[in-house]
Amino acid sequence: MNRTLLWIAISFGGLVVLAYVGLSILAGGPRDAIEMVRFALPYMHRGKLKVGDKAPDSQLVALDGATRFHIRERTNGRPLVLVFGSFT
Amino acid sequence: MQIFDDYKDHADFLTIYIREAHPLDEWRMKSNEKDKDDVCYVQPKNLAQRVAIANDFTQRFKFSVPFGIDEMNNAANDAYAAWPERLYILDESGRISYKGGNGPFQYDPKEVRAWLAQRYGEVKHPEPAPEKKS
Repeated sequence: MNRTLLWIAISFGGLVVLAYVGLSILAGGPRDAIEMVRFALPYMHRGKLKVGDKAPDSQLVALDGATRFHIRERTNGRPLVLVFGSFT
Repeated sequence: MQIFDDYKDHADFLTIYIREAHPLDEWRMKSNEKDKDDVCYVQPKNLAQRVAIANDFTQRFKFSVPFGIDEMNNAANDAYAAWPERLYILDESGRISYKGGNGPFQYDPKEVRAWLAQRYGEVKHPEPAPEKKS
């Protein structure tokens, strides 16, 4: 019994190490792996929207920091390309 | 953004600035710290900070694409599962006609160009000459 538990623990530990090494390679380094899990994975989602769905509307702020407008206001009878992103 | 220059007579474009992907106080990237443009910010904690970074971005790159900033409740980001970067096309009736994958690995402007080209034909204006450094 103790031998079985030992092997389970070793296997689990091996998987954790492998996952950490894999994430480190993917993220760019050991520190990056931890920061990716902590700061990126909680925000990265595939999302439930599908082609054909009605597009959600949201209020946005203009570059002056005061004016508000809605995404829907920008659909002027033409296709609207939305480009989401940040600076860093 | 070359696609904007090429297709702005046919389609509308809107850039939506969302929460930072690689701020100094979260998942910082060495490439940003080494970048000649010094793209180093902490994650904005209020709207004024978010607006300041957005203005820095548009001014540095003379960014002419229409621009909006997500509110601090990240409503647009959450509605579109947009983080860290993502592309969508809404059709004339306000429905999603194209949904790109999550960036950076599945962020593909070529797919947007292909969608627009299929509808309006290939458009390719010459790229502007780079500015001479004084």
